[in-house]
Amino acid sequence: MRDVARDPAALERLRVQRSRLADRLQPPWWYLTGIAILWALAFACPFTSRYLPQGVRTWPILVAAVAIACLLHWGLARATGIAVDTRMFRYPSGRPAGIAIIVVGVAALVTETFLIDRGLLVAAIAVAALAVAAQVAAQQAQLRGIRQDLRAGGGAP
Amino acid sequence: MTARPDPLIHPITRLSICGLLAAGADWVEFAALRDAAGISDSVLSKQSRVLEDAGYVEVRKGAIGRRPRTWFRLTAEGRQAVRGHLAWLAQMEEAVSAGTRDIQQARPLPGDRDQPRHALPPLLGST
Repeated sequence: MRDVARDPAALERLRVQRSRLADRLQPPWWYLTGIAILWALAFACPFTSRYLPQGVRTWPILVAAVAIACLLHWGLARATGIAVDTRMFRYPSGRPAGIAIIVVGVAALVTETFLIDRGLLVAAIAVAALAVAAQVAAQQAQLRGIRQDLRAGGGAP
Repeated sequence: MTARPDPLIHPITRLSICGLLAAGADWVEFAALRDAAGISDSVLSKQSRVLEDAGYVEVRKGAIGRRPRTWFRLTAEGRQAVRGHLAWLAQMEEAVSAGTRDIQQARPLPGDRDQPRHALPPLLGST
């Protein structure tokens, strides 16, 4: 077996191997589509709570969104062969995107509710659509950050 | 963290496996690890068994349909050992590159123009 002591480029080789591993973490098309559906469900809540008949509850939509999130995480691990941590802030380079996801999510829900209360339905739908697009972009940025951390070995707990 | 070599991780194949598992992924699947490390199925099986027996790697086996799937991750003990070993390697790399810099910066002594350049001890090289 080859020995590191006779191979001064061992760390350099490890960097290349980590880079190869990180490159596998490319989201398939269905992952991003699933993320878009997930956030569309979440941003539909202000509409459903206002416009659905009384007695129809919002929580099944949220349960469906959580189920989709779990399914997507499992599917991404299966497709890429890399299971990343579910904790949003575990990876330092993905943290800004993680914060953006939370901020955009909260801001969109508040804005939608505000617009719906004033009867500006079209504007609320436009805000929801923009927020979904922003969340998909933020999710891609977060995966880019995770890839960067895997390359640098900075994602270790 | 103590920078110290670990004889179990020292061989290059095991270093590759452990280094990849320590990159930050929670679990890494057999094929992904094999492709990233650039080793064969049998080598990965054999070396991962050694690491598993030492308590450095945790193995989870499952199947999707008829295809068996094996996942790996470092244990806490393995993670600590890999960190120490990589820190030790980084120190070695730093020492080697510092030595190379010294050789490159070494100037010939007066009258040595036609002589081949030799690496000088730091004390002589600084005058």
